[in-house]
Amino acid sequence: MPTYKAPLDDMKFVLNDVIDYSRLTSLPGYADFDVDTAMSVLEGAAQFCEEVLHPINQNGDAEGCHIDHGAVTTPSGFKSAYQKYVESGWPALSADEAFGGQGFPQTLRFAVEEMICASNLSFGMFPGLSHGAYHALLMHGADDLKATWLPKLVTGEWSGTMCLTEAQCGTDLGLLTTKAEPRSDGSHAITGNKIFISAGDHDLTDNIVHLVLARLPDAPSGIKGISLFIVPKFLLHADGTPGAANGVRCVSIEHKMGIKASPTCVLAFEHSVGWLVGETNKGMRGMFTMMNAARLAVGMQGLGLSEVAYQNAVSYAKDRLQGRSLTGVKNPSGPADPLIVHPDVRRSLMTIRAFNEGARALSLWVGTHIDMHEKHPDPAVRKDADDFVALMTPIVKAYFTDMGFECTNMALQIYGGHGYIREYGMEQFVRDARIAQIYEGANGIQALDLVGRKLPAEGGRLLRFFFHPLSERLQRTVQDPQLKEFAEPLAKSFARLQQATQFIVMKAMSNPDEAGAASTDYLRMFGLVALGDMWLRMAEVSLAKLPTATGDRSFHDAKIKTARFFMTKMLPEVHGLFARIMAGAGPVMALEAEGF
Amino acid sequence: MAIEIRRAAVIGAGTMGSGIAAQLANAGIPVLLLDVVPPGATDRSALAAGALTRMRTQHPAPFMSAEAMALVTPGNVEDDLEALHEVDWIIEAVFEDPAVKAPLYRRLDAARRPGSIITSNTSTIPLNALIAGQSEAFCADFAITHFFNPPRYMRLLELVSGPQTRPAVTEALHAVGDACLGKGVVVCKDTPGFIANRIGTFFMYCAMHEALKHGLSIEEADAVCGKPMGLPKTGIFGLTDLVGLDLMPHIMTSFHATLPAGDAFLTLPTTFAPMEKLIAAGNTGRKSKGGGFTRLVPDAKGGRTKEVVDLQTGDYRAERAPQLASLAAAKGRNALQTLVSFDDRGGRFAAAVLAQSLSYAASLVPTIADRVSAVDQAMRLGYGWAFGPFELIDQLGADHLAALLTTHGIAVPALVAMNRPFYRVHDGVLQELLPSGEYAAVPRPSGVLSLADVKRKGKPVMKNVSASVWDIGDGVLCLEFTSKMNTIDPEIMSMIRQIITTVGDGSGAYTALVICNDGDNFSVGANLGLALFTINIAAWDAVEQSVADGQQTYAALQHAPFPVVGAPAGMALGGGTELLLHCDAVQAAAESYMGLVEVGVGIVPGWGGCKEMLLRHVAPVQSDPAKAMAAAGHVFQTIAMAKTSTSAADARALGYLRNTDGITMNRDRLLADAKAKALSLVPGYTPPGPRTVVLSGARGKSMLMAGVLAMAAAGKVTPHDEVVAGHLASVLTGDETDGTTPLDEQALLDLERTHFMQLAHTSGSLARIEHMLATGKPLRN
Repeated sequence: MPTYKAPLDDMKFVLNDVIDYSRLTSLPGYADFDVDTAMSVLEGAAQFCEEVLHPINQNGDAEGCHIDHGAVTTPSGFKSAYQKYVESGWPALSADEAFGGQGFPQTLRFAVEEMICASNLSFGMFPGLSHGAYHALLMHGADDLKATWLPKLVTGEWSGTMCLTEAQCGTDLGLLTTKAEPRSDGSHAITGNKIFISAGDHDLTDNIVHLVLARLPDAPSGIKGISLFIVPKFLLHADGTPGAANGVRCVSIEHKMGIKASPTCVLAFEHSVGWLVGETNKGMRGMFTMMNAARLAVGMQGLGLSEVAYQNAVSYAKDRLQGRSLTGVKNPSGPADPLIVHPDVRRSLMTIRAFNEGARALSLWVGTHIDMHEKHPDPAVRKDADDFVALMTPIVKAYFTDMGFECTNMALQIYGGHGYIREYGMEQFVRDARIAQIYEGANGIQALDLVGRKLPAEGGRLLRFFFHPLSERLQRTVQDPQLKEFAEPLAKSFARLQQATQFIVMKAMSNPDEAGAASTDYLRMFGLVALGDMWLRMAEVSLAKLPTATGDRSFHDAKIKTARFFMTKMLPEVHGLFARIMAGAGPVMALEAEGF
Repeated sequence: MAIEIRRAAVIGAGTMGSGIAAQLANAGIPVLLLDVVPPGATDRSALAAGALTRMRTQHPAPFMSAEAMALVTPGNVEDDLEALHEVDWIIEAVFEDPAVKAPLYRRLDAARRPGSIITSNTSTIPLNALIAGQSEAFCADFAITHFFNPPRYMRLLELVSGPQTRPAVTEALHAVGDACLGKGVVVCKDTPGFIANRIGTFFMYCAMHEALKHGLSIEEADAVCGKPMGLPKTGIFGLTDLVGLDLMPHIMTSFHATLPAGDAFLTLPTTFAPMEKLIAAGNTGRKSKGGGFTRLVPDAKGGRTKEVVDLQTGDYRAERAPQLASLAAAKGRNALQTLVSFDDRGGRFAAAVLAQSLSYAASLVPTIADRVSAVDQAMRLGYGWAFGPFELIDQLGADHLAALLTTHGIAVPALVAMNRPFYRVHDGVLQELLPSGEYAAVPRPSGVLSLADVKRKGKPVMKNVSASVWDIGDGVLCLEFTSKMNTIDPEIMSMIRQIITTVGDGSGAYTALVICNDGDNFSVGANLGLALFTINIAAWDAVEQSVADGQQTYAALQHAPFPVVGAPAGMALGGGTELLLHCDAVQAAAESYMGLVEVGVGIVPGWGGCKEMLLRHVAPVQSDPAKAMAAAGHVFQTIAMAKTSTSAADARALGYLRNTDGITMNRDRLLADAKAKALSLVPGYTPPGPRTVVLSGARGKSMLMAGVLAMAAAGKVTPHDEVVAGHLASVLTGDETDGTTPLDEQALLDLERTHFMQLAHTSGSLARIEHMLATGKPLRN
C-alpha cells in the first residue's frame, strides 16, 4: 500500500525563499497571513490529507461509485471524510470573507490542492468543482443569487458542478442544444441532457448547485448564443433549506479508466428551474472564469500525483534489492544492491523529482500573481499580474498534466512487474493521471490557446511578464561564477524560446496551420524554460544558503544537485523541440486525408 | 496661344468663394477676393477680410502655408472692380440666384480685360440660363467651374462649357484645374446638378427613405452604405449633417424645378419626416448647436458621447454598434452580391438603394457625361465614394442588377441591358464600355504616369510580401510599398538593399529610383506591432539589430551611386519621413503630412532621422555657436513635439523638406514629376560624400532641457515626455561630445541607437507603443 507525506519543507522553502511570499502580506486583507500562519495552515492540511484522505484512496478506486434509482453513492469512507473536511473549514480557506470564507491568499490554495490531489484525486474532485461554481457565481452572479447560494458553497455544505458537455459537443460548445425558456417570474425552465458531469450526483451534501450552459429561445446560433444558469438539485424552502426536487435526474454514471471514486454523470434536466448568471448570451464569459481557475487546479492534479508516485518509487528503489551496481557492489551485506544504485533508475527518479520541485515553485509563483490580480491597489499591477496568469494557465494545465502522466508512469516502471499489480497502488496513479490531460480543455486545446490567443494578444503583451524578468535574471546570473553553470544552459534555451515564439507568430500570420502544428511542442518548450527559471532561482537561493546551512544542509545540497540535473538532463529537450518547430507545418500536413 | 492664369479673382467671400481663393493661393496664384460692401461698414472690404481671418484658424485649414495666405488680397465689388483688369480668371461664387448673378456679370464684363476667363461656381443653375442676356464676348469666355466643399481637400472639379465657349477657355481651365489646383477635372454636360450632385443627392434621399422604410437605424444604414458599398465613413446621415439639413429641401426644390419630366429623381418623396422634425427644432446639422441626425453630448467622464436620432421616434439616443447578419456576411469577393441577396433588413435596404441609384446613374449616360468613367470619377472625387456607380455594377454583375431591377419593378437601362462589364483590361490597358457597345481606353490626362497603369501592363522587376519594384520607363525604377498601411518592415529594408545591388553603379538597365505608391498614405512609419512583439519577448539583440539594419539600409541608399527621389502623398510619418530625409530629392504631393513622430510612441527617431536633421540644419551653421544652438533647438522642438506638417509647404517650414524639393499639386501627376526629377539628377550624378557635424554636448543639452523643465513646471509636459525629451536632447547634442570634435554619420547613428534602446527598456515607452497600436492615438503618460 502506497504512502504519502506532504512535502511541507519544500513548500516552506518556495514560499519563504523563492517566490517572496511575504510581499503578499502587504496587500489589503492579507496582513495577517504571514509565512508562519501559512505554514500552520499547510501543516493542518497535510495532516488531513495524510490521515484522512490518503487512507481511503485505494479502496475508493476499488469500490467506485454506484447508482441506484438515480441516486449515486460514493465509496465507503468518503462521506465521513467529506464531513470532516467541511467541519475543519477547508472549503472556506481562500473564499471571500463576505460569504463566510476565511479570505486566505489563493497562493495557499495551490499548495493545499497539490496535497489533496496527491492523497486522493477522486475526493478532490468534489471540492474542486464546488470552488469553480463558487468562483463563477462570485464574479458574475447577481447579488440575490450570491446571497442565496454562495454561503453554503463556501462552507461545503452544498457542492457545485459545471455542466457544459453534451453528447454532440465537447470542445466545440457552440453546438450545444440545452434549452432555457423564460418563466413568468424571471427564472428559466432548463431542459436538456448533459454528459461527463463530475460530481453531478452523490451522497456527500444536502444539495448540489449546477452551473449549466443553455440556449435562450431567440439566441444567435453558435458560441455567441449561450447563457449560464444556476440550477440546484433541490429548490429551496422559504427558510433556505433544500425542498422539492428540481427535475435534475442522474441517468447513469460512466465506467472509467481512473478517478473511479468520482462519479461522472449523465444528467437530464427536465423543466428544471434555473436563474441566469451574468448577461444573456454571455455565458461563455462566466464559464471561462470557472475554466481558467479549473485549468490551473487540474495542473495541480498532475503535480500531486507525480509527487505521491515519486515518494513511493523512491522508497521502493531504496528497499528493493535487485542486481549489482555497474561500478562495484554497494550493499555487500545483502544479496543484491538496492535499485537506487542503477543509473537508469536514478534518471527516472531525478526526472520526477526535478519536475515536482520545479512545478511546485512555478505553481506557487503563478498563485501569487492571482493574489496580486485580486488584491493589489494599483490597477496597472493588477492587469500585469492577470496577463501573467493568463499566459501561464495553458502551460500549467497541459505541461503539468503531461508530466504528471509521464512521471507516474516512470514511477510505476521502477516497480517492475509489481507496478502493474493493483495492490501496490502505482497503476492507480497512472490511470488517475490520464484524465487530467483530457478534461478542462484537452492539452491540444491548451497548446492552441497558447499559440493562437495568448501569444498574439495585444502585440505579445502577456509574454512580457515572463520574458522580461527572466531576461534580466539571466543577464545578471550568467556573469556570476557560481551561477553561470545554471544560467548558461538556460540562456541558450531561452534564446530558442524567443526564436520559436517569433517564428510561430510570423508564420501564423500567413498560415494558421503553422501555429497549430507547432503548438504542442511550443507549449512543452515553454514549460521547460519556465521550470528552468524556477530552478535557476532555487539554485541561487541554495547556493547562497549552503555555506552557513546547518540542519538543512542536505536540503540545499540536494536542491543544487537537482538544479544541475534539470539544466543538463531535462532542459536540453528544448533544442529537439526547437528543431521540430522550425521544421514547420509542411511535414505534418503533407499526407492527404485519404492517405491515412 | 494657350491662356495663362497668372492672377485670379474670386467674387463672393462665402465658404466656397473664400475656399476657392485659398486653393488658388496654395497653387501660387495671387487672388483678389471681393464681396459686397456691407451697409454702414467702416471697412468696406469687411466681408472678404473677415473670411480671411476666419480661414486662418479654420479646420481643416484652407491654406497650405503662410505664404499662400499672403497671396489673397481682400477687396469689394464697388471699389476694386478696376483691379479686375489685371486678372486672367474671374470666378463667381455668389448667392445661387440668377437675378443676383446676371447684373453682376454685366459689371464684371465691363471691368475685365478682354479675353480673360469668367466662370461660375454654381451648383444648380444651368449654363444656358447664366449667359442669357450677356455679351457675345462674355459668352465666349464663360464656363462653369464647380468646386466641392472644402475646395482644398475635395478633389473634384466639374467643368461645363457652353456651345459658345471658346475651346481655348475650356483648355486653359482644364489645365489650370488639373496641374495648378490639383483637381480631377471632369467634363460635364450642361444638365441640372451636373454629375456628382445629381447622383449623390438622389442616393442620399433614396437611402434615407429606404432606411426608414426597412426599419434600419442610422448606424445600420450608414454601416451598410459604408464598407460594402464603399461610401465614406461620414455616412449618409453624417453627410447631411455636414451639408446642413436646412439646405436639403432647397436642393430638392431646385432639382424639381429643373429636371425633365419622367426623371426618376422626381418620383422620390420630396420630404423626409425625421429631417423636417429636426429642422423645425432648429437642429440643422453640424453648424447648429443642437446637432442634426447625430450630436455630441457631454458625458460623466468629462468627454463627449455621440448620440443619434432614432428614425422611428425622432428622439436622440446613445450611439449603438450596428448588429446585422447581412453586414457580417458581406465580406470577401462577392460581398455586394451577398449583401443584396441577404434576407434581413440590411440586405433588403441595400437591394432597394442600389437598384434605384445604380439604375438611375446608368440611365443618365450619355445625358450628363459622355463616358461612364467620368461619372465614376466624379463620385469618387466629389463624394469620396470608394467605387463609382459603374464600378459597383461591375462588382454586382450587370445581369444580377438587371434581375434585381425586375423584382423592384424598375426599367432596365440600356447600358445595363448590354450585360457587359463596364471596365476591362485589354492588352494591359484599362478600357471602359461606351454607350455604343464598343470598348475604349479610359482617358488619362496627358503627362500623367499612373502606377496602376504600369502594373496592368506587366510584372514587377522584384517583389516580396511588403514591397514591389516596377520599371516605370527610361531606366527609372519605382519602389512601391505593399505592406499594411505601408508600414516599413524588414522586408522593405531587404528590398531596398536588393535595389541597391540591382541598379549597381547605374551603368546597367536602370539609372535612378523613385519611391512612390498609390496608397492613401506614403507610409505610417515602422511596423510598431512587430517592434513591440520583439520587445515583449525581450529579444533585445533583435530589436537593436532592426534599428541598425534600418540605419545601414537608409545610409546605403543615400550613398548609392544613383539618384533617389522620394515622392510622398498623404502621411509620411516616423520611418517614412526618415526615408525621405535620405533621398537625394523629394517630390511631394501638396497634401503631404510629414513628421518625425517617434516621441509619441516613446522613442527617438532611430533610422537616421536625427542624424539627417542635424546634418541638414546644424552643420551648415556650426561655425557660429549661437546659430548652431538655435538650429539644434529648432530640430529639438520639431522632434520633441512630434510636429507633423499640414501640407508639403508646411513640411518645408518645419525643415523636413528642402527648398529644392518639389511640390506637385495634383497627386495623379506625382509619379511623373518624381520620375522627371530623378532623370534630371542622372547626368553626372555623384552621391553625397561623408559628412560631419559639431554638436554642443552637455552644455547644449542643459539648454534644451531648460525649456522642457519650464514646461514641466507649468504642467505642460508629462513625466514620460520628460524622459523621452532627455534622451532626444542627448542625441541632438552629441551626449558626451566635447563641443569641438566633429561627429561623423556613424557616431550620430550610434547615438540614436543607444538612446532608442534605452527608451525601449522603459515601461513608459512600452505603454505608449501599446496605446498607439490599440487606439491609434498617442498616450500622454
